[in-house]
Amino acid sequence: MSHSALSAVLADGPAVSPCLVLGDPTPDLSVEMARAAVGAGARLLEIEFPYSDPVADGPAIQAAVQRSLAGGTSTSRAFELLGRIAETCPGTPLNLLVYGNLVHRIGYECFAERAVAAGASTLLVTDIPLEESVPLRRACRRAGLGHVELAGPLTPAARLQRLAAVSSFVYLAGFQGVTGVRRGGFDAMLHRVAEVAEIVDVPLCLGFGLSERSQIVRAFGAGAGIAVVGSHLVRVVGDLYRTPSDADRLLSGYGAAVRRLISNG
Amino acid sequence: MKASLRPRQGAFGSFGGRFAPELLTPALEELETARREIVPTRTFRDELDREARAWVGRPTPLTSAPRFSARAGLETVFKREDLLHGGAHKANNVLGQALLARHMGKSRLIAETGAGQHGTATAMIAARFGMEAVIYMGEKDMERQAPNVKRMELCGAEVIPVTAGARTLKDAINEALRDWTASLSTTHYLLGTAAGPHPFPRLVRDFQAVIGREAKRQWRREFGGLPDVVVACVGGGSNAIGIFRAFVPEKSVRLVGVEPGGAGLDSGRHGATLVRGTPGLLHGARTMVLQDDEGQILEPHSISAGLDYPGVGPEHAHLQETGRARYVAATDEEALAAFEVLSATEGIVPAFEPSHALAFVLRARESGELPAGARVLLNLCGRGDKDLETYFALGRSPVRDRP
Repeated sequence: MSHSALSAVLADGPAVSPCLVLGDPTPDLSVEMARAAVGAGARLLEIEFPYSDPVADGPAIQAAVQRSLAGGTSTSRAFELLGRIAETCPGTPLNLLVYGNLVHRIGYECFAERAVAAGASTLLVTDIPLEESVPLRRACRRAGLGHVELAGPLTPAARLQRLAAVSSFVYLAGFQGVTGVRRGGFDAMLHRVAEVAEIVDVPLCLGFGLSERSQIVRAFGAGAGIAVVGSHLVRVVGDLYRTPSDADRLLSGYGAAVRRLISNG
Repeated sequence: MKASLRPRQGAFGSFGGRFAPELLTPALEELETARREIVPTRTFRDELDREARAWVGRPTPLTSAPRFSARAGLETVFKREDLLHGGAHKANNVLGQALLARHMGKSRLIAETGAGQHGTATAMIAARFGMEAVIYMGEKDMERQAPNVKRMELCGAEVIPVTAGARTLKDAINEALRDWTASLSTTHYLLGTAAGPHPFPRLVRDFQAVIGREAKRQWRREFGGLPDVVVACVGGGSNAIGIFRAFVPEKSVRLVGVEPGGAGLDSGRHGATLVRGTPGLLHGARTMVLQDDEGQILEPHSISAGLDYPGVGPEHAHLQETGRARYVAATDEEALAAFEVLSATEGIVPAFEPSHALAFVLRARESGELPAGARVLLNLCGRGDKDLETYFALGRSPVRDRP
């Protein structure tokens, strides 16, 4: 799917994007979870490739990545699962979150082509920032894959504009730190969202720390077009799934958790 | 391909760069500005020199080693970084970075540590400067380097066990980077080796380069001319780049870095990143790494906790690529034997890390890796007290070469 699908989705209003780690808790269940999320109303999905050294991730996503790697989810397997998710959830833009070494190892061009072939719409490489992303962006452009840059609470205005100029959307980390659920500090974060929304002229995606519908509503009100919920949902997997017999419980629990983030009331 | 892979910031040929999450960019830019604007000032240099003499114990001597040399069949001279405060070359770097952090107004230092030498050095400088210190250390390393954990705590540092991954140095660096992302306004990440995102490889190299500058001057004065070979062990590579730096322009001087061969290069259980690795992105730099075909980082192995790292400083990757330096490996067994030989022949108990460099020199004449008559300068980068417990637990017999 091309990244223009994203504009189509956002034309219908701001969207919640649940995040899941491919292969967590098992390869098949991660595909089923994507389907459950879309069934619960998700119009976008964020998909993280498991990597041995996720330096930008907090404990919840680290644990998910470990579950996935322990289950044998290699990058090839991850692409296969991604392809199945794209088939299962047609019309849902899929943003990939990947660490640089996985992309570098098989080559930027090759990775971008495989991502597009599997049905991804955009790619955010967590640890390849603006200055070093030139060859990556070229590869994405050639493959027809949208490119996304990460911004943070301290990113200055001029740099935000440079990030926006090369991004399908800007992914703003709401808090200075690794991924994970936060308590407090939301007012300052919302202020920052409003400030960044004024500066960038592409959709603004807010991530890191969101776990409640009320926060999401306020983030949309402040100008975010996409709200990613990662650690909070990934923790649901750890809480609900222990053995294969927990599969149904996981899928209904995960769907319910997504629904609570998407619908008011 | 190569031109497009050249990093845009802090490159060493096609290696180096700043491959770190955007949230670290403000901290890395602040550090680079400080490196350019504060480090070269007269005030900073004077403070650094004064503390290096009074607290670190510089300069360290060169020591000729006739009985070891006879054993190796090569004339070998040691640069005695094992005599520095704290027992390793790590003090050079922590002093420089802590001074810089103080100039930058940071009150808290965080660090990773493998063997515990860098953590200990950080704990010591934090005590001297009255700064808070938090040290991340893999749980497995805490077990095999228990005395150093106690030393850090004695100096007032908090040691946080890291339970992720293989519970060694790589995982401790991940955790320190995570801490720094959240704490960068008050905190300096005192990275212990010449690796990581720009500007760390240059910052650490420049603070360690005193080793080679001193040694070159001392060699000229004491022996005349230059050594034929400079040898150092390489984990992350800070002691090696520190002694190599002054000799890089001297084309007659061979540079040899010795990596941990662990249980043997073909066993798959080693930490020989330059000898057996492939280019990748790890901990902020494009460098040589131990990884699988799809880019997952592999767990290294070495008896030496300080060399047990699946990456390496990017400048070494560059020196290897250009052929200016050569990198080889010595196994755990060779290192242990060299540890015993140096203790028995010269009365110097080396750390397991430089024991790898010693092992190379001991075999090099016979293996033909060095020519007969070569005069060797070896960076004896740390003393072995921290390794005694591990060594004795192996139940080996010491070398007896005298009646």
